[in-house]
Amino acid sequence: MRTFRLLRRRRALLNCAPIGQDHLVDRSMRAAISREDGSEEFVHQQNFDRAVADVVCLVPIPPESAEWFSEKDAIRVPKWTWKRILFNPAVLAISIAVVVIAGVFVFNLVNRLNDFPGSATARKLLTVAGSTRSVMLDPVNAEAGTLSDLFFMKHGLEHYDVPDEFADFSTIGCRVFDDEESRRIAQIWVGEKQMQFFLFPAERDSKTGAVLTFPGWRYVHQEGWVGAVTERDGVCFMAALRGREKDLEPYFSGSKQQQ
Amino acid sequence: MSDRRQNLPQLYRFCFLMLGDLRKAQEVFNATLREAGLRAAQGELPREPSWLFREARWRCLEASEMDLQPESLEIEEHDIGPDAVSQIRQLEPAQLAIWISAAPDPQRTALALFYLDEFDYLEILDIAELKLSTLSRCLSQGRRQLQAWLDAKHSGAHNP
Repeated sequence: MRTFRLLRRRRALLNCAPIGQDHLVDRSMRAAISREDGSEEFVHQQNFDRAVADVVCLVPIPPESAEWFSEKDAIRVPKWTWKRILFNPAVLAISIAVVVIAGVFVFNLVNRLNDFPGSATARKLLTVAGSTRSVMLDPVNAEAGTLSDLFFMKHGLEHYDVPDEFADFSTIGCRVFDDEESRRIAQIWVGEKQMQFFLFPAERDSKTGAVLTFPGWRYVHQEGWVGAVTERDGVCFMAALRGREKDLEPYFSGSKQQQ
Repeated sequence: MSDRRQNLPQLYRFCFLMLGDLRKAQEVFNATLREAGLRAAQGELPREPSWLFREARWRCLEASEMDLQPESLEIEEHDIGPDAVSQIRQLEPAQLAIWISAAPDPQRTALALFYLDEFDYLEILDIAELKLSTLSRCLSQGRRQLQAWLDAKHSGAHNP
């Protein structure tokens, strides 16, 4: 079957054999011709083709059409200039795509540089802060610093302490809930600038189980909210408000670590 | 652009072989070059060297669509004989063009492009958008049919 196909292809190639040697560039064509070279049928075919091509060469060119040949650069392709290259739709599209990809890459890189253990959870909690209404929390009128006892006594949450910087703030309400990874999250709403506090377990090394610590305060941003996060005794604390970093800055003492 | 300009006489011959009519060939040739000039001015001239032939081919097919179409007949075929060359040499270019232009497409395109002796078979496959087997059949049948026509022409000339 394969031999038959090869023979058929060779026959097909011989039928298309070039008239002159100029077009003998294809290897399979050269091979087909070299096998058949000298056969009477092929010689007749070649002579026939050559004779017909000679007649075609004699087709006269009318003077009106010949004018085109003398028209210098009648159909000249415009030279490529930098401006033309830059405004070429393909180049333009590729450039825009490259810029967008580079932008996304830089954006991700900057985000990565700002990352710290627990930053992903902190961002999710900023989304929670944005959607929380005060009625969802249990009303509590106390100083924020005193709620660590409540969290420990009522919910068994150890070290869920509000840092000194925010301990004096008067609370409106609080609640404890589980996030999608079943971590216990404490949320406190304070009157000061409609600020919310979150306390959640710090991230741990997946192999050793050791707490992944980081020094000072770190900022996270999400959907117009800003959060300042710190870690102590395996628990992260985040103070969050709708606004910018400078709205949170006045609350920190010199211990804050800007990143 | 020099390559394209060198091909212009061959482009005209191609139009003539496709149409078998001097006036129509000129019209298609001029229209193709005008289109090329327009595109070149807009910087949209395709860089593939065979573009002019591809464009001219479609214009030729379009132009001949309006003509009277030949009836589809079983055309006689003869083996190529040793005296074919002398028979062909007695042909006028216009006679050959009329014979080729009367062939149905894609045989017409295949014969016109092949006998220009301008392209290799791969380029012809590309311009005419054919498979190798189709091109081979078109050329093989074309030769045998042309031989039969030459035989008939010469026997007619010898036996009036």
